[in-house]
Amino acid sequence: MNEHKGPLLLSAKDIVVRFNLRGQELTAIRGASLNVYQGETVAIVGESGSGKSVFTKTFIGMLDQNGRVEAGQLLFHGEDMVRYDSEAQWLKVRGKKIAMVFQDPMTSLNPVRVVGEQIAEVIMWHFQKSHEEARQETIDLLRRVGIDEPERRYRQYPGEFSGGMRQRVVIAAAIACRPEILICDEPTTALDVTVQAQVLNLIKELQREMGMSVVFITHDLGVVANVADWVAVMYAGKIIEYGEAEEVFHQAQHPYTQALLRSLPQLGVKGQDLYAIQGTPPSLFKEIQGDAFAPRNPDAMKIDFLEEPPAFPVSPTHWAKTWLLSPEAEEYRLGLKRRDEQRKAAQSPAPPFDYAQAEPLLSVRNLSVHFKLGSSRVKAVDGVSFDIYRGETLSLVGESGSGKTTIGRAIMSIYSGNVEGEISFKGQKINQKLSKKDRGRLHMEMQMIFQDPMASLNDRAKVDYIISEGLYNYRLFENEQDRIAKVEKMLEEVGLTSDFMTRFPHEFSGGQRQRIGIARSLIMNPDFVVADEPISALDVSIRAQVINLLNRMKKERELTYLFIAHDLSAVRFISDRIAVIYRGRLVELAACEELFARPLHPYTKALLSAAPYPDPALEKNKTILTYHPSREEDNKNRQWIEAYPFHFVYATEQEIEAYRDESK
Amino acid sequence: MENTLNRIDKIHDSALFTAADFDRAESERIGVSNYSYWRSTFRTFFKSKLVIVLVGLMAAILLMSFLYPVISKVDPTKVSTRSRNWNLRPSWDHLFGTDTLGRDIFARAWYGCRNSFLLAFCIALSDVGIGMIAGAIWGYNRKLDPIMIELYNVMTNIPSTVYLVLLAYIMNTSYLTLFISMASRGWIVEARFFRNRILSIRDAEYNIASRCLGTPMLRIATRNIIPQIISLIIMEAALCIPYSIGSEVFLGFVGVGMPVDAITLGNMVNQGRASFTLHPYQMLLPTAVLCLITVAFYIIGNRFADASDPRNHL
Amino acid sequence: MGKYILQRLARSVVTLIIVFTAVFMLLRFMPLNGYFPQEMIKETDEATRMTYLRNLGLLDHPFVQLWRFVQNLFQGDLGRSITVYPKVPIITLMAEKIPTTAFLGFWSMLVGIVAGISMGMMMVRYKNRLGDALGNGYILFVRAVPSLIYLFFLQIWVSRWFSLPLVYDKDIPSSWILPIICLSLSSVAWYALWIRRFMVDEENQDYVKFAYVKGLSRKEVLRRHIFRNAVIPITAYLPSDLLNIVAGSLIIETLYAIPGTGGLLTTAIKRQDNNLVQVLVLMYAALSILGVFLGDLLLALVDPRIKLTEEK
Repeated sequence: MNEHKGPLLLSAKDIVVRFNLRGQELTAIRGASLNVYQGETVAIVGESGSGKSVFTKTFIGMLDQNGRVEAGQLLFHGEDMVRYDSEAQWLKVRGKKIAMVFQDPMTSLNPVRVVGEQIAEVIMWHFQKSHEEARQETIDLLRRVGIDEPERRYRQYPGEFSGGMRQRVVIAAAIACRPEILICDEPTTALDVTVQAQVLNLIKELQREMGMSVVFITHDLGVVANVADWVAVMYAGKIIEYGEAEEVFHQAQHPYTQALLRSLPQLGVKGQDLYAIQGTPPSLFKEIQGDAFAPRNPDAMKIDFLEEPPAFPVSPTHWAKTWLLSPEAEEYRLGLKRRDEQRKAAQSPAPPFDYAQAEPLLSVRNLSVHFKLGSSRVKAVDGVSFDIYRGETLSLVGESGSGKTTIGRAIMSIYSGNVEGEISFKGQKINQKLSKKDRGRLHMEMQMIFQDPMASLNDRAKVDYIISEGLYNYRLFENEQDRIAKVEKMLEEVGLTSDFMTRFPHEFSGGQRQRIGIARSLIMNPDFVVADEPISALDVSIRAQVINLLNRMKKERELTYLFIAHDLSAVRFISDRIAVIYRGRLVELAACEELFARPLHPYTKALLSAAPYPDPALEKNKTILTYHPSREEDNKNRQWIEAYPFHFVYATEQEIEAYRDESK
Repeated sequence: MENTLNRIDKIHDSALFTAADFDRAESERIGVSNYSYWRSTFRTFFKSKLVIVLVGLMAAILLMSFLYPVISKVDPTKVSTRSRNWNLRPSWDHLFGTDTLGRDIFARAWYGCRNSFLLAFCIALSDVGIGMIAGAIWGYNRKLDPIMIELYNVMTNIPSTVYLVLLAYIMNTSYLTLFISMASRGWIVEARFFRNRILSIRDAEYNIASRCLGTPMLRIATRNIIPQIISLIIMEAALCIPYSIGSEVFLGFVGVGMPVDAITLGNMVNQGRASFTLHPYQMLLPTAVLCLITVAFYIIGNRFADASDPRNHL
Repeated sequence: MGKYILQRLARSVVTLIIVFTAVFMLLRFMPLNGYFPQEMIKETDEATRMTYLRNLGLLDHPFVQLWRFVQNLFQGDLGRSITVYPKVPIITLMAEKIPTTAFLGFWSMLVGIVAGISMGMMMVRYKNRLGDALGNGYILFVRAVPSLIYLFFLQIWVSRWFSLPLVYDKDIPSSWILPIICLSLSSVAWYALWIRRFMVDEENQDYVKFAYVKGLSRKEVLRRHIFRNAVIPITAYLPSDLLNIVAGSLIIETLYAIPGTGGLLTTAIKRQDNNLVQVLVLMYAALSILGVFLGDLLLALVDPRIKLTEEK
């Protein structure tokens, strides 16, 4: 007991949740337990489908209609909330004692009511206060969560707030009743890194002030390291490891936790394969025998397939459900450890890309793209120039709406008419009318990989057709047999088997679908690939697979990548050079390690400082730099200057001097 | 008890604490399998008993209305000069009775069904067919937007009843003019409907992927777009049928419907209405058939729309 | 906002001009017989007929005719009826008939909105239960069965059961009941259908889930969030509804022999009165364009999202 800061508040014991889906029973939670103590933050980590959201939804009785708690207890203030059967009972808890914040701030607020009323209604409803009192409290709350001019903002609609500001409003509504527990369901996943860091800080401050407990659900280990006192790792509807944050990060015991941490690109060695978790999360429609992770664990033991492991204590504050901790497995465990150390020692980083020898493959000069929005014209990309050299990976990093995807699509000639400037590939200008033959050649030489594996595959077509689409378009096969052989070979290369050919995309998980998408592009044998955030929609356990696949393909097929991303960790691992884009303009471009070692532009600095790092000690003590674009008012004198060799910044001469001084 | 012992044995069996074989295929296995959009759509659709009954009934009525004129020798236009053959109540000889001129209402009902169906099918075909093509062109050409929206506003701003009455008045009534007056208006409503759907499909990532692969327009249409909207096409076509039958009844009432000697459900209802107070069966029986058809198609269309939504494939 | 209104107004004016022109041109194809008063049809030779038409200006270029019509329109002259009410100025005719139609229409609109919205809300409240099934059954019936059929049976049977008058009489209030109910039947179904659909859509939105998480009761969430948001798209149709009360219903006014504007078009067509047909059709078209325009304005007023996108 003494290891916790405060008394036990909520205790969930052996919760089992089942859903009825397509006439089948899905056991989403298979006996999960969690204790929440006052004033502490417990983070539940897991990938999509692990049940982390469902589990916490039971704490406030908000399961979807086809789901129900089948077994277990939820003790809160001496009452078992599993037994609540009327709305009235829940209303005393929900929002008042236990509050929740959702992932997407853009949809969490009613778009046609002013934000203030949406907060005030909570206060009026739970405390029977008058409208005027509630209004005053709401204004204080808004001020507290960092919204300027709260009186004016009170009367504004959600559409007038940015994503980060909306999430602040949502948080204000959630804490309006000073709840004892605040459940945060991926509250920063939809936000940009710089905004994410601010919102995380806000949550931590509020927790300290109000003495709340926070249950933090996330898949991002960097975020966990930032916020959590305690970490619970969830896999296939069960909590498989639990402990103090430091312990879980540094002495993870469960093979799944270990694999998750090891597969993070921050910890990878450049040029080598990342450690990747194999396969796909298990189906919860079937009964799971033994350790649910065993089928994906190459080092699983026989017992893992037969019996479910109990929780073995590692320290008084740390346990894990894995047979590896059983005394019988001592020898096996030491064997694994030795092998691991050998493996680590063998890895050495690849030499950096040699730019002295490089020849440009694609050149972009003064690219501007504008869109019509209503009656006005918006410039999404504004005078961007860069080269991509044959064989390199250039990453384009920026927040949402910065224009990075637009650049990728402009290069792929997806827009017509609204693109200015010049894009040339292998010396030929391509953003103009081309002969059918030239256009066809480009389609074969330039390909694109998409962000959303769910939206980028036609769900009414079979995998066979999806992968063959390009082959059909240019008849890149001799006969039917040849085509099938090509598709099979491609599937093999992306790690899928040929019996997937006759299936529809629905039947695949996100990672598998993304690999199908990669197969579809690479079967054309391109030289150049635009990869538009190919991993950001994927689960952590799947990302490493895809990163490795992209890297392997690059080596084997001598590809050149334009990698578009907002996630700096993966970018550092995968790219040779990084270009930072802010509001449609490139602000900095440098070789990868140079940029991380010596960022010059204040926006780059802010971006780097905000990126979460999966180490609690570092993460909890980091200082976040904020970038104030107001300081950077449009200055006509700014130009693209080479501040150091191969290191470019968009700045004025004076600014360059200042940046250079700062970086010393 | 035995189980527990068994278990205790296992967890102390050091042979089990050794490396197991790793099966790659097993690690890639996922839950959902054998999902096919169309199979699920039809399974969901036919899950309801009502739908099964209605589809069966409509199939029977369709079959009957096209077979009856071929196999039966009863002439639906045969007027009897003897007054004892007039206004006969339903009997075995005349299942639905006879009308004021001694014509067999049962035979007329099937002929009427056939004619009304034919008309409705033509209208459905042209509304949905033209509407879909126009909608696709509209959806893919931003430049058409102002013109088409204005055209849509113009055509739909005039109440449909007024429009139908007006056109029917201007042209002499016949099957063709009835078809023209209904079809000339219906397509734009469908076009707008399909345009909205196609707009959302058009910018989907998989379509952009197809463009990056250089897929020609024709294949994009047949592979990417039509499969996505085919369920909408079926639904809209099904809903066209009650609409066109209803319009025909309405026009008959206004007095600008089909010529009196044409046998359609609309004409039968309107003619029956005149003699309703004396011989209610003359109106009730054809009306019942008509309502059955419109209600059935309405339900089938709506249920099919629900079933074709993947969110309902539970 | 002002810019938005002006743009919207300009669009409506353009539409109005196009519709007016198109319909007017279309009306030039009306049977020529419709221009002759009864007594002239039977025994007039071709030459006299042509002179008659020429005197009326009907042989001029259609655009000339349109221009003349518009000029007259601005002077409040809608022309005269030919066969239905021989020689009576149409404007007088309308002034006489509109009050009856509008009176019945207004009450039926009220009934339609109140009953329709309550019905839609009831269906959401008891979703997938009996109340919902009954509501859906009603909507299905009204939308699938041709209106003439159920209106006819309603008139015959209900008037008998409740011994209500079979036809309308402006001096007998009990004879107003059936027409008002009949007029509202389809709008009840319409409002119920859309209120239900919009509310069900809104119910699946994240902000509704967040409202529940805030601890508001279902009743509260339905009232403050779901219903409010579901009504917004419906407000766009209110002005059209309001304007259409002067148009009346062809079927109902004929069935109940109501001396209003709705039956007028039917009669005009049956009796081939081209002038009357023309004025009525153009009036309906103008009303619906005005209705859509006002509806868009009202929507922009109540839905902050429109204002925001317009400003951006």
